[in-house]
Amino acid sequence: MSHDNPQHRSAMSSLDTFTCVRCGLTVAASAPDGGRRNHCPSCLHSQHLVDHVEGGPSDCEGRMTPISIAVLRTGDWMVVHRCVRCDELTSNPVRGDDNQLILMRMAVRPLAQPPFPLEAFGDL
Amino acid sequence: MTRRGARTAGRRPQRAKDVLHGPAGTRGDAFRCVGCRLDVSVVAPGTAHRNHCPSCLVSLHVDRRVPGDRAAGCGGRMTALSLSVRADGEWMLIHHCLTCGELSANRIAGDDNALALIRLALRPLADAGIPARVLLAL
Repeated sequence: MSHDNPQHRSAMSSLDTFTCVRCGLTVAASAPDGGRRNHCPSCLHSQHLVDHVEGGPSDCEGRMTPISIAVLRTGDWMVVHRCVRCDELTSNPVRGDDNQLILMRMAVRPLAQPPFPLEAFGDL
Repeated sequence: MTRRGARTAGRRPQRAKDVLHGPAGTRGDAFRCVGCRLDVSVVAPGTAHRNHCPSCLVSLHVDRRVPGDRAAGCGGRMTALSLSVRADGEWMLIHHCLTCGELSANRIAGDDNALALIRLALRPLADAGIPARVLLAL
């Protein structure tokens, strides 16, 4: 949740930027589709700045890696992030300019390494 | 298979689980699924921390951080939201609490419903909107 603390939210402008904690890219905090961004569009990593259980700012500030894609009833994709420091899980909506190669790679990742043979599903 | 080799390569063994499941402090060896009312034994092949129903994958929000700590006061129903894959190829089930919105991760067990798991894995690709747009853009 990069720089999504109350001070920033109140003074949110289209000129806000943050630096990705993983790849160092400087990104605009507002996405082109209007929403506020909380992960890097290039590597999809985020930072643990909001405490999701209690609300308000978190003092962890660990890096959050994307671990999976969740789908809402509306068909929208969410990225599930996991904090590498405290193992907290969060889900955030996908923005229009997010790296589509990484998104697709995460979406098909379970099928690349199935824990059981998939051949039987062809007969169903 | 490559996964078998990866599993034996120096992972720490799972924590032993010594939680009391029963209502009055008795050690229960089964729980009833809140989703489909199936009676489920807590002894499962492939995992020491079964926390979801093998048939419908529904879980209950009773633990906070450590499996079996019973520290969460929520008690809500948790439905399977998505699948994640660890670096060694283990599938993890991401559960979403319908009461408080908390997310949690748990390894799948050996007797989990394979059809339900595959449906979950295919969910991002089932819809024609985003995946089609993404593949065309690559």
